Amino acid sequence: MSWLTDKFSFAVAVLFYGISVVYSVFLWRRGFREDSRVNYCLLLAAAVFHTTAMIKRGFSLERCPVNNLFEATMFVTWTMVMAYLVFGIWSKIRFLGAFASPILFAIGVFALMPSLDVRGTKPEFTGGLVSLHATLILLSYGAFGLSSIAGIMYVTQEHDLKFHKLRAVFSRLPPIERMEKVMNGLLIAGFILLSGGLLLSPILLKQKYDVYFNSDPKLIWSMVVWVVYLMLLVMRGRFGQGGRRFAWGAIGSFAFVLLTFWGVNLLSPAHQ
Amino acid sequence: MPIVVIGLSHHSSPVTVRERFAFAETIIPAALQRIRESGIADEAVILSTCNRVEIYASSPLQDRQAAAALQQFLLDHQKYSEPLNGEIYTLGEPNSLEHLFKVAAGLDSMVLGETEILGQLKKAYDLALKHKHTGSRLNKAFQRAFNVAKQIRTETNIQRGSVSVGSVAVELAEKIFTSLSERQVMVIGAGETSEKTARALLSRGAHSIIVSNRSHERALALAAELEGRAVHFDDWADEFPKIDIVISSTAAPHYVLDRAKLEPLMKLRKNRSLLLIDIAVPRDIEPEVNFLENVYLYNIDDLQAIADGYLQQRREEIRGCEKIICEKVKGLLQISTSRAEPHSDGQFAFE
Repeated sequence: MSWLTDKFSFAVAVLFYGISVVYSVFLWRRGFREDSRVNYCLLLAAAVFHTTAMIKRGFSLERCPVNNLFEATMFVTWTMVMAYLVFGIWSKIRFLGAFASPILFAIGVFALMPSLDVRGTKPEFTGGLVSLHATLILLSYGAFGLSSIAGIMYVTQEHDLKFHKLRAVFSRLPPIERMEKVMNGLLIAGFILLSGGLLLSPILLKQKYDVYFNSDPKLIWSMVVWVVYLMLLVMRGRFGQGGRRFAWGAIGSFAFVLLTFWGVNLLSPAHQ
Repeated sequence: MPIVVIGLSHHSSPVTVRERFAFAETIIPAALQRIRESGIADEAVILSTCNRVEIYASSPLQDRQAAAALQQFLLDHQKYSEPLNGEIYTLGEPNSLEHLFKVAAGLDSMVLGETEILGQLKKAYDLALKHKHTGSRLNKAFQRAFNVAKQIRTETNIQRGSVSVGSVAVELAEKIFTSLSERQVMVIGAGETSEKTARALLSRGAHSIIVSNRSHERALALAAELEGRAVHFDDWADEFPKIDIVISSTAAPHYVLDRAKLEPLMKLRKNRSLLLIDIAVPRDIEPEVNFLENVYLYNIDDLQAIADGYLQQRREEIRGCEKIICEKVKGLLQISTSRAEPHSDGQFAFE
């Protein structure tokens, strides 16, 4: 099956994300009154092809496929869809898929751009520390991504409740308090993973440049991201800033990550 | 032997007429006995609720004759001699069976799709069965009606959603809070609707109720009924940090709760979500409070709009329900005609 390449598998996964977007629009127009089991199945099918693509690329490299922007993007979206499939087991949270699929589709289409998949020489195996560092950080972005999707779901439902839209009660969306808990849990998980990934940075810098810190744009950017998420969690934990502001915080923070990640990556000599 | 229905309901007659025909539960067995002894019917069930009085009978007579005889029985039994103007309806097969199935499914109820009628119908049937006034025809028809009601409930949205103010309030609470079991409810003003709403919240697991009323005696009485706690009207704001849901229905001519008063209270409760149900007219809560973060204010019109929306949704389900009923009636009639010779003089429904 030579035609079943990693790129082809990923393209099929993106196609399923696209179909899921169409179905999500239908769910939206129906006021989220229909069961979203079909959408869950579509995202499950996408996840199967997505995982196949990851495995194929991983086996060809003999390491975790996080070496260029295509692989990193593929990894982040894979984390998001896998986390969704776990959360989606609970029927009330399954609607998260309707909010997740447009983002997964958009990032997926972006990842398929040929210029992102630059394949140089086969990367050398460096004891797995680089892979662990990249994996932890990309997993954290996946958690932040899903948290922002939960945030979008929260603000939608909150807006409907606030402005007395009939959809607020007619829909089968979960209560906003539960969405807030999901958001918070994902942010904490993402923050722990990001902290773990960043803690490995000084070791990797020492190995490569014989320094513990340098002004690499991506390192600075990652620390900014870390501080942003820390502030978000502190504001909620310490000052009770929950609800809408917290949801917008989660959405805005991930939008910042999403819009700057690729640019900063290109500027970073240490991450080329 | 055809099944005939005769009766009155909220569709055909006002309560002033319906109440004259109502049967007390204690006299129903004797009335059924009389129907059977008179030879009008071999089997009979009497359903008497606040919205309808109906006799379902399986008669050896032609159904028009049976219906006329049952009507006369009803008028004689309830000693009603005033002229009638279409208040009593009579139905023969298959309309009688369709009617029975519709009643069981709540399609003929005042509140479309309500489930209370199914319980009342089961009770009426059980009473007739217990006194051996039913036989194979009515047993089959009623059992089928209960099955159809169940099928309609599971396959359509006819019973989905809340159509009363109290249950809409519960639904709203369930869209905000993960679980009601930890939620404290405060009732300000001990009116009837607020009591019903509080009861609805308690039935769905709300943790406890605090009642505050200008008349402290009334607050104490309602708190005792709801197994809650009463606080003096001047002190209700002190309880606010613990409260998650407020039901307000005082007779005050001014706002009891306004934005200036609520803003500092929200800080005390660490901005936890707060559902405010204002069912007072004139309103108790300033509409501006809805602009505060994590505050959700609903007045009586908002709740009614949701209830009406649900009702509209239920109306859209009627066609689907009728299709199921039509198929089930056809099925039941096919079984009946294959086992016995027809007694019915055709399809009819007459006033």
